[in-house]
Amino acid sequence: MKWRVVLLIGAIAAFGPLEGCRRKPPASETKPAENAYGAEPDWNDPLQTIPLNYEQTQGQRIFYADCVWCHASSTPAGPSNMSNLKPVPPLGNDGAALNGLSDEFLQNLITLGGGAMSKSAMMPPWGMTLKPEDIRAVIAFQRAISQPPYHPSARPRSQYSEK
Amino acid sequence: MAHEEMGRISNRLRLGFALCSVVFLGVMAISPLRDQLREWKHYKRSYVTFAENRPETRRLLADFHPGLDQIWLPQWGVTDRCITCHQGIDQPSLADAATPQPFRAHSVIAHRATEWGCVVCHQGQGLATETAEAHKATLGWEKPLVPTSYIQGSCGVCHHPDIPETPRLNRGREVVTDLNCIGCHKLEARERPAMLGPDLTNIGNKTSPEWIFKWLRDPRTTTDANGNVTVNGYENEEEPRMPRFRLSDSELRALSVFVGTRKSKAIEAYRFDARVLASWENKPDVADQGETRFRQMFCSTCHPLAVVRGGETKIIGGDIGPELTKVGSKVTADWLRFWLRNPQAYLPQALMPRYGWSDEDLYKVSRYVMDRLTDADLLANVPKLAPLETDVDVGARLFQEKGCSSCHVTSGIKIQLDFGPDLSAEGAKTVSQLDFGSSKMPRTLIAFMEAKISNPLSVNSSARMPQYVFKPSDLEAVTTAVLGMKGAQSTPGIAALVIEAASPSYHPAGDFGKIYERYKCYVCHRFAGYGGALAPDLSYEGSRAQRRWIEDFLKNPQTLRPTLTFRMPQFNVTDQEAGILADYLGAVFQTPLLDLSAPPQGPWTADEVAAGKQLYEVRYQCQSCHTIGATGGYVGPNLVNAGNWLNAAWIRGWLENPQALVPGALEPRRAFTPEEIQALTAYLLSQKQRSRGGPQ
Repeated sequence: MKWRVVLLIGAIAAFGPLEGCRRKPPASETKPAENAYGAEPDWNDPLQTIPLNYEQTQGQRIFYADCVWCHASSTPAGPSNMSNLKPVPPLGNDGAALNGLSDEFLQNLITLGGGAMSKSAMMPPWGMTLKPEDIRAVIAFQRAISQPPYHPSARPRSQYSEK
Repeated sequence: MAHEEMGRISNRLRLGFALCSVVFLGVMAISPLRDQLREWKHYKRSYVTFAENRPETRRLLADFHPGLDQIWLPQWGVTDRCITCHQGIDQPSLADAATPQPFRAHSVIAHRATEWGCVVCHQGQGLATETAEAHKATLGWEKPLVPTSYIQGSCGVCHHPDIPETPRLNRGREVVTDLNCIGCHKLEARERPAMLGPDLTNIGNKTSPEWIFKWLRDPRTTTDANGNVTVNGYENEEEPRMPRFRLSDSELRALSVFVGTRKSKAIEAYRFDARVLASWENKPDVADQGETRFRQMFCSTCHPLAVVRGGETKIIGGDIGPELTKVGSKVTADWLRFWLRNPQAYLPQALMPRYGWSDEDLYKVSRYVMDRLTDADLLANVPKLAPLETDVDVGARLFQEKGCSSCHVTSGIKIQLDFGPDLSAEGAKTVSQLDFGSSKMPRTLIAFMEAKISNPLSVNSSARMPQYVFKPSDLEAVTTAVLGMKGAQSTPGIAALVIEAASPSYHPAGDFGKIYERYKCYVCHRFAGYGGALAPDLSYEGSRAQRRWIEDFLKNPQTLRPTLTFRMPQFNVTDQEAGILADYLGAVFQTPLLDLSAPPQGPWTADEVAAGKQLYEVRYQCQSCHTIGATGGYVGPNLVNAGNWLNAAWIRGWLENPQALVPGALEPRRAFTPEEIQALTAYLLSQKQRSRGGPQ
């Protein structure tokens, strides 16, 4: 009889620690909205909210400070300046106009101004006012709110891609 | 027992020992095996595999070592092992959202994870090496990871002044201030202002108990269950400042009678000049003329009002003063005139400027307000309230019991401080410190706060807190702001990091100070870091504008920025006052960066002006934002009168670097050559609307 008890104790001693080796269930995923640093209403459908990450949220702030005046249909001060400009600048979420342009092109366009990139000289250069990461953030924000949505693969691969 | 028997037993024993040995050997093997299977080792191994499949393998694995990694910052009590699994936290090439967690890089923020640790901002258990232990609330750890959407609260723990990187936190703090949460709650890093709700000491001479009844029952601004805000039935964006209290009809009656009978000092009827009365009293269009004057004076810069535009009724105007659509049915004509003539005589803390009224204007505008801004049906469903003595007594008690006296002053009742719970360390509370009652909600601090804020009764059925209705985004923002209030810091090292908010103040004495207080310049403009943000910062106005222009502008303000709906009201400043203001602005509000006494010397040649025009119109296309003549944009100020407005030195300095003169100026800095600056300055100074003597 006694050896059975010994075996039992041995088995418990063996399986107890082994239990700890069992793979833990994966941590349950949080709600997508809880993972967003900021949010922006979809310009074409204000009931929809687009979640933004940290960089896009910084871009949102800079967009609403500097770009909104000419690249949105209404501004914090009232009417938009778009109607005073020729050619009419694209809206900030205009995917049809902007999805085809690469990040690098937009970065240069904002930094150096429209005149330097064969676009309208009415677009001023921001390179001496905004930091390069600020401009990157604005582009990230513009990509996030783009309608039709922006898909990075849709553009040609950049010559600067990682080696 | 026989010898043989003993031998048999010892054989059995031997067998037992042998079995035990095998088992123990097995057990000893389990330990290293188990160690090998630990969760973090699994992640470390998969990181190696992951890195080997990337083009930048060498860089990703440069600092790799197979053991536990940790960030140890003893001065802050930080020991974070998060980077054991979050291996790519500092690798810029892993920033892409396509990188699987836990290897993704952290967003580039001002604080690098390796220098600041992780739990300082994210909470969670830094020492833990298992996913669940590190991220979640467990039996032994009560502070789970803060969800990203509330993470800005952690920024607020140290950053008491607002920083631009945290819009949600800033919005939350703004709502907390606007809604006067500090009336009842103690809040971290916030001082109680001198006045929260209006002083009700003499309200009985301003309005009737019936109006107060109506106001308490359905405030002017209401929000429905879907979060749609309406003011007097018209859609609006603003959250109501006065919340809805849960009052029965008898409580409403008693409170209205009590408040409506507060009369400390009789209001004398203003005696108009007999000639003004005689000529205006019976004119049919007196209210129309009053409306014109009301618009010309730009009352709507501070007061919103329902107006019909294109067949649609909308609330339009600023939010500094109260909404006025139906104010004619609220106040008495005598009170209105008394108030308009000297707001501070009725309410010392009032922000409303003391206008210089002519009898004619005062009569016309007050007739407009009393005749047109009315609603005959406003008090239709309100019972007639007889001022019963018993109601007054009950009302006085309710005034304290319901917390009215936390925001409102009235005669005979002391201001009640800390009526609600102290929230100055609410963000540091653990779940076990919260009283969820019998509510059915997730047992987390965030869920608790959101339930308390959005519906106080959902947690505690006898809560005294009134009902606020928030948009979902504002609820999240307010929760974020409260999460950032953690009271005393966990270690002295972290406490030393806290940046206190500066509380600037600028109230000069003397003649300028008197006029400055009279017209409340600082409510909209900023002076030396103090004041509102509605209108331009005037800290360097003396360097920017010519004295004569300042004087003319003060007497007859015209907008420089046509897009703005908010414009400087017409205060009817006297010549003497305008002179004092212009002198003071010119003498005191100068930037050290410019020397006005040594401006670039004119006269400007016609060639320079022509070159400047060419640069303005063709090369730099300044007309995309500025207007000269009939064409141009309206982002920047109208430059049609720049020659009479701006100092030459200011134009030069501005063209060189706008942000150096006005931090945060919208105009982007450009690389002009000195010749271009000379030409543009010449062109702008040649722009003069009316001739006013020779060039500067």
